[in-house]
Amino acid sequence: MNFTLELSGADLLLLLPEIFLTLWICMLLAADAVPSRISKKHIGNLSVFGLYATLVTLFWFYINGKTGSLFNGMYLLDPMALYFKIFIVVSTILVVSMSIEAVERFPAFKGEYYFLVLMSALGAMLMASANDLVSIFVTLEFTTFGFYILVAYLREDAKSNEAGLKFFILGAFTAALLAFGISLIYGATGKLILTDIAQAMGTEPSVALIAGFLLLFAALGFKIGAVPLHTWIPDIYHGAPTPVTAFLSVAPKGAALAILLRIFFVTLAGFAAEWIWLLVLVAIVSMTYGNIVAIAQTNMKRLLAYSGIAQIGNVVIGLAAASKMGGESIMFYLWAYLFANLGAFGVVIAVAHVINSEEIEDYNGLNRRSPFLAFAMLLFLLSLAGVPPLAGFIAKLYIFVAAMEAGLITLVVFGLINVVISMYYYLIVVKKMYINEPTDPTPVTVSPMMKTAIGVAMAGTLILGIWPKPFMDWTVDATKMFDLNLLTTTHAFTLPFGG
Amino acid sequence: MIDAWLLPLILFAPIVGAIVLIFIPNQQRFLIQMIAAGSSFVSFILSFYLLYAYDATVGGYQFVQRIEWSGNLGISFALGVDGIAVPLVLASGILLFTGIFVSWHIKDRLKEFYVSLLILAAATIGVYLSLDLFFLYFFYELSVLPMYLLLGMWGSHTKSYNEMKDTQKRDFVGFILNFTSNSKEYAAMKLVLFLSAGAVVALMGILLIYVGSGLNTFDIPTLAEHGKFSGTMATIIWLLIFFGFASIAPLWPLHSWSPVGHAAAPAATSMLHAGVLMKLGHFSIIRVGYEILPEATRDLMPIAAVLCVFSIIYGGWVAYSQNDTKYIIGYSSSSHMGYIFLGMAALTYVSLTGAVLYMFAHAMATGLLFALAGWVYDQTHTRDIPSLGGLSRTMPFATGCFVVGVAASFGLPGTVSFIGELMILMGSWNKYPVQTIIAVLGIVVTLAYLLRMLRGVFFRDPNQEIPYEAELKWAHTSDTNGFVNRMPLIVMMACTIYFGIFPGQLIDVIGSSVEPLLAKIHGTEALSSTSLSPVLFPDISTSALTPPPSVGEGGAVLLIGGSP
Repeated sequence: MNFTLELSGADLLLLLPEIFLTLWICMLLAADAVPSRISKKHIGNLSVFGLYATLVTLFWFYINGKTGSLFNGMYLLDPMALYFKIFIVVSTILVVSMSIEAVERFPAFKGEYYFLVLMSALGAMLMASANDLVSIFVTLEFTTFGFYILVAYLREDAKSNEAGLKFFILGAFTAALLAFGISLIYGATGKLILTDIAQAMGTEPSVALIAGFLLLFAALGFKIGAVPLHTWIPDIYHGAPTPVTAFLSVAPKGAALAILLRIFFVTLAGFAAEWIWLLVLVAIVSMTYGNIVAIAQTNMKRLLAYSGIAQIGNVVIGLAAASKMGGESIMFYLWAYLFANLGAFGVVIAVAHVINSEEIEDYNGLNRRSPFLAFAMLLFLLSLAGVPPLAGFIAKLYIFVAAMEAGLITLVVFGLINVVISMYYYLIVVKKMYINEPTDPTPVTVSPMMKTAIGVAMAGTLILGIWPKPFMDWTVDATKMFDLNLLTTTHAFTLPFGG
Repeated sequence: MIDAWLLPLILFAPIVGAIVLIFIPNQQRFLIQMIAAGSSFVSFILSFYLLYAYDATVGGYQFVQRIEWSGNLGISFALGVDGIAVPLVLASGILLFTGIFVSWHIKDRLKEFYVSLLILAAATIGVYLSLDLFFLYFFYELSVLPMYLLLGMWGSHTKSYNEMKDTQKRDFVGFILNFTSNSKEYAAMKLVLFLSAGAVVALMGILLIYVGSGLNTFDIPTLAEHGKFSGTMATIIWLLIFFGFASIAPLWPLHSWSPVGHAAAPAATSMLHAGVLMKLGHFSIIRVGYEILPEATRDLMPIAAVLCVFSIIYGGWVAYSQNDTKYIIGYSSSSHMGYIFLGMAALTYVSLTGAVLYMFAHAMATGLLFALAGWVYDQTHTRDIPSLGGLSRTMPFATGCFVVGVAASFGLPGTVSFIGELMILMGSWNKYPVQTIIAVLGIVVTLAYLLRMLRGVFFRDPNQEIPYEAELKWAHTSDTNGFVNRMPLIVMMACTIYFGIFPGQLIDVIGSSVEPLLAKIHGTEALSSTSLSPVLFPDISTSALTPPPSVGEGGAVLLIGGSP
């Protein structure tokens, strides 16, 4: 293999957003280290500003249609990578703006919080571009390291410590699985680049190769929290500081899905008929398990954790569709999920800031205490449930249409049943907020910064639901490359329609 | 120029009103009331204009507006009305406008109430106006959620719950949902889950239509023209569509959410719920099932003819044994929905036109009854008939209106229900004589329970049973007074009677769309359909067989009849 590295200035330009963000993070770290009176709040504002600047560079790439690859194909900047990078940066902006208030109440290390969040975001951005097994491993761990610390951020809090430890042990275990899987694949094919592996595999994959890919899927399934690799999600969502939970529930999942899309739709495109069964199973179990267990939850964060597992089940339906449309629908779904989920966590942060509790019981009569927060939560939960005119509705429908086109009728039936089940527990929260009377009628106040962040999430949820065309067109553009792969559509259970 | 804007205005006026209301503080009651009334008035007036602007000589979809919404999925935001949608849009407009006034005096969170009510009505109107399957489902699902808030926040528990008698009572569904079966929360949750379950069944059918047609479009006219479905797949899709939408209709045995929901809901919500929300089911079956799957409709509609009998008998029977005013009206509504299904199942020109006309008529009659039941409840804080009585002394005007409502409900000549009912019965006679006889008997039952309620609430002399107490008991109640309280009642009564005497325009409009629809369903078999009529019963309506007039005196249609 040729390891010469030729990098021109124009090539480095492809890394501009990442390089810029890295420099900005260093600047933040320096600003935090200066023992002057720079308020930690300003560090938060500065990081939001840096993220906005990164977003601008990403949009510059998008508008100019700049694409390319670096380091012999290890690093890929295609429209899909760009799409996921924008997704990750937007989610980070929302999370950081929601955190500033909560971070002020952290006992220690207020400045470092922003550093860690931005570093994780940087790792996730690189993940979106990873096009070979080594860079997948490196970027995945890069992202996760920040979270190991962030989850255990509240040093005095036993739950946070427990969550951190659990996350670290399970995360390390997953890293081992990933490394083992990579070694098996490399051993069987001698290739690392995802497209090369596809060519080297032949038509009859060896057992080692199959095991390797299963391990790879397990590791990535852990990141997105699909059943049966979901067990860490509720405890860690519950224990971690809420802003961290919000971040954990969106950005790494998005990045891991970018990798999953590349692996399934590029590397394994020829074997769609085989892996589709695995994904169908994972999707059904994730949706059903997540939704049914969510019914029994009494804590808002745990409820959102289980609802997140169910949402990922929906996403996997799109993956199982094994078509360009499936890819589009997943990428569209992620935006709906981002706004609704981050918004819901934002409301949890805002409520916890005043009443210091995340129990669902304490949301009783929220409509009387803060009509804004109650209405926001209503929108977010209904969007997660998939009610028009909100983003979640059209996103779910997009996924179902993609699955129907692929002939996965069984899967759609399960998806639809789960929509009804999920309606129940989301409405229970709505009932507490709107129908029940508050035990303590003092108003819940929201800071302007928080209000803006939640307002942005509300606007996103509504706009995506009412006028999704620009976003849909964007997903169609971003998945152009899947056209070339001609995925097999000869599934065992195609639609029984005659000609 | 108004024609291009007509349908968007009818649909979006309530939505704009709701959006404006969100930003107005709850303290400014008068402003809130004015905005709600104003925005609903736009829909109200324009839906009247729509009835007379719709050209019955041309028929088909009119006032069509189309904007591409997602090219990728083949969705366009398409609005348009045919003759079947027009009377239902009118009913929605009337009930929304009157509902705003009926709920004028709500004290708690008035703004949120009006927002939910406006969105509910806009969503129902949206279903009637949609020419795109996606948006039909979109608005259908959108109409369910406001019901949850309306029932939960402003609804009322049943009597036994309030008196803390069997507060732990749980039926099967209540056990699963973990709610006491006679609380309003139970009613709200049951309604949403039943309707959502029905909706996803219908959605499955819609998705199968979308994928199976291979046309990559949700556009109903295109699918109706080019979508070819046959064999098992057509049957499966039709069953999914039919039972999915029949759950909101509500057809026995999918009705159980409905009376509970009626009883728990505040008056204006019950009006919209019984008046137009339930008709979404019939309408969607016609719009999706009849238009896109005509052959399956012809083969499978007898299912509805069987089930509708249970609806009629069961609903009437239960209504007769209830003591709660709203339960009686609720079960009477489920029972009357059976007539509509009978008219739809018979698939003749007269019966189907009658069924659509009856949907409108029932909306007016039930709206009136629910509005008055709501008024009585507001005054007396009970819906229990044994504890009411003699209210005609304190509320003579309301009593008069209630009598009109009762008369309209069982179909006294002179009300529009009479025409609808008669057309259904006449049109169905050839095909389903047994069902028609049962339906006629159902009218007698209707008469029995409605008059029993009328007597129990307004006329029974309370002194006979509880000598002094009752006289004093309701002496503090007052009649509907002033413009705000009387106007909605007068509007609904006027519509019932006006269209009862001059149904011409309505029948022409409905007929202009029913005729091509039936031609499509019967296809070449149209001429041989007379052979279906049993020998036992002489063919009364085809004996005078002449083609139904698509134009002309609507009243004359009654006498001619027959299948086209």
